[in-house]
Amino acid sequence: MFPTPIQKRPRAAQITYQTLVPLALILWLLPLLAVGLFSIRPLSDFTNGNYWGMPSSFEFFTNYGKVFFESDMPRYLLNSLLITVPTVIGAVALSCMTGFALGIYRFRGNLLIFFMFIAGNFVPFQILMVPVRDLTVNMGLYDTKIGLVLFHIAFQTGFCTLFMRNFIRALPYELIEAARVEGIAEWRIFWYIVLPLMRPAIAALAVLIFTFIWNDYFWAVVLTQGPDAQPVTAGITSFNSQFVAQYHLMSAGSIVAALPPVIMFFAMQKHFIAGLTLGAVK
Amino acid sequence: MTALTLTNVNKSFGEVHVLKDINIEVEEGEFVVFVGPSGCGKSTLLRVIAGLEDATSGEVHIGGDLVNNTPPSKRGIAMVFQSYALYPHLNVFKNMSLALKQEKQSKAVINERVAKASKMLNLEDYLERYPSELSGGQRQRVAIGRAIVREPKLFLFDEPLSNLDAALRMNTRLEIANLHDTLAASMIYVTHDQTEAMTLADKIVVLRDGRVEQIGSPMELYNNPVNQFVAGFLGSPAMNFMPAGFVSEGDPRTIGVRPEDLRLQDDGGLSATVQHVEHLGGDTNVIAEAKGTQITARLFGQHAINQGQTVTLGYAPERAYYFDKEGHRV
Repeated sequence: MFPTPIQKRPRAAQITYQTLVPLALILWLLPLLAVGLFSIRPLSDFTNGNYWGMPSSFEFFTNYGKVFFESDMPRYLLNSLLITVPTVIGAVALSCMTGFALGIYRFRGNLLIFFMFIAGNFVPFQILMVPVRDLTVNMGLYDTKIGLVLFHIAFQTGFCTLFMRNFIRALPYELIEAARVEGIAEWRIFWYIVLPLMRPAIAALAVLIFTFIWNDYFWAVVLTQGPDAQPVTAGITSFNSQFVAQYHLMSAGSIVAALPPVIMFFAMQKHFIAGLTLGAVK
Repeated sequence: MTALTLTNVNKSFGEVHVLKDINIEVEEGEFVVFVGPSGCGKSTLLRVIAGLEDATSGEVHIGGDLVNNTPPSKRGIAMVFQSYALYPHLNVFKNMSLALKQEKQSKAVINERVAKASKMLNLEDYLERYPSELSGGQRQRVAIGRAIVREPKLFLFDEPLSNLDAALRMNTRLEIANLHDTLAASMIYVTHDQTEAMTLADKIVVLRDGRVEQIGSPMELYNNPVNQFVAGFLGSPAMNFMPAGFVSEGDPRTIGVRPEDLRLQDDGGLSATVQHVEHLGGDTNVIAEAKGTQITARLFGQHAINQGQTVTLGYAPERAYYFDKEGHRV
């Protein structure tokens, strides 16, 4: 068998492996652990330069309590949710349809349109920063959640279409033809045949887009300001006041802000099913 | 009334001319088999009839109506795909009833038709199962059931047995034959297997390179092939062809003799060296070589013939077929 299982390698190799793996793991998780540790320190630890030692006192409840009850964090979290969820729904729904159209129908310009969807992904968004800001200002959408949502949907649909179109292309085409011969209308084919088979793709894409949008900082800063519309990624910086950086609260806020994508992943996990089309053909 | 009429149907994919002037008539209740080697255009022809491909020119009439511009769903046909194409997320009952539901049939009608079809196909115990939980033969029957419940004017089968193993293939073949008798529906069946064609068909259409070579009943084609291709395609083992000048010097004709028409004789025939013997019990197939040509003889019963042995083969001249240089029968 290749590669040789670690149990069957020489003892020296096993020991090296067993020491290096935990080491690599710790190294990998170090930033996260540091943030976790920071989030339970009192502010005084930072002023005294005690970054890496034992916390002088454990302030888990104080810090997280402050984040939830004495700051704008809940507001920012809600904003994030109100931005991310509509974006996920919008981008996934749109790309299901574009993917179906581009994956199933053979028409002139199909590839051209498909390439344009892909090409959109290659435009660096730093270039778009100023025009998009001007656009939202002119449309009266600057510093609104809806403006951010619309922009995110427009920007994510390109990638989503690429993903969905390729997934639909991989479905057995006979299924579509069989349905057509059976007299099932095209939109019903989409709804009753293709959509159920796309469940794993929809789940995967939803998690991916949710994480993208939830973690977006760039556009949040460019298109919004203040607790009315800003999502949590941008909102965390409000713990940095003019004279004091409240690292302990920023850390606690960051941990809180990082949780929803993780929860999303586990919530969607049962939909990641391989072989949904098993038994369709042959 | 004819169930299907094809008039001068042509189909090209870009530069490639796949179907060339196809003219076929299928009578009401007839079982017609399109047969030909792979790549001859038989599946494309079926797809043109189904409406999944458009004919480049020519007319397709189903049940007397011109359907060139009618979508597949409105043609009154049902198609069984080679790969079954079952909806994997629906159980057997829903697979069979989906189309009826779309037609807005009442629940009673749906239940009745599905019950009837599943009884006919022995699927009653599997209605709750999903396609992935079925064997190949059962999936094939579901695919057929899905066609039956719609009570179409015309059934189209696209190599439905090619994914089944030999024993199952024979059973399913019988089932399809029975089905044709029970439903008395018009059926078109595409296959590359000449045995399926011979056993199932009322009428066989032999296709080669997008052209109809010959149309007729199985025995007509077997006994009266118009050319060397049809003669060689039907029958197993295939007809022996002895090139020009093989039997008598200067004869420009190719001589075809069916393996079962060859017999062993003591003298005055073809002298051939045995290369291989297939003992089938009921028959013995002798594959021998004479003057660089391989000849297969199918002898009735069991014969003690050894490899390397020289045998003399003869045939009755009236059982031979003669073909000219172009392969036409003369």
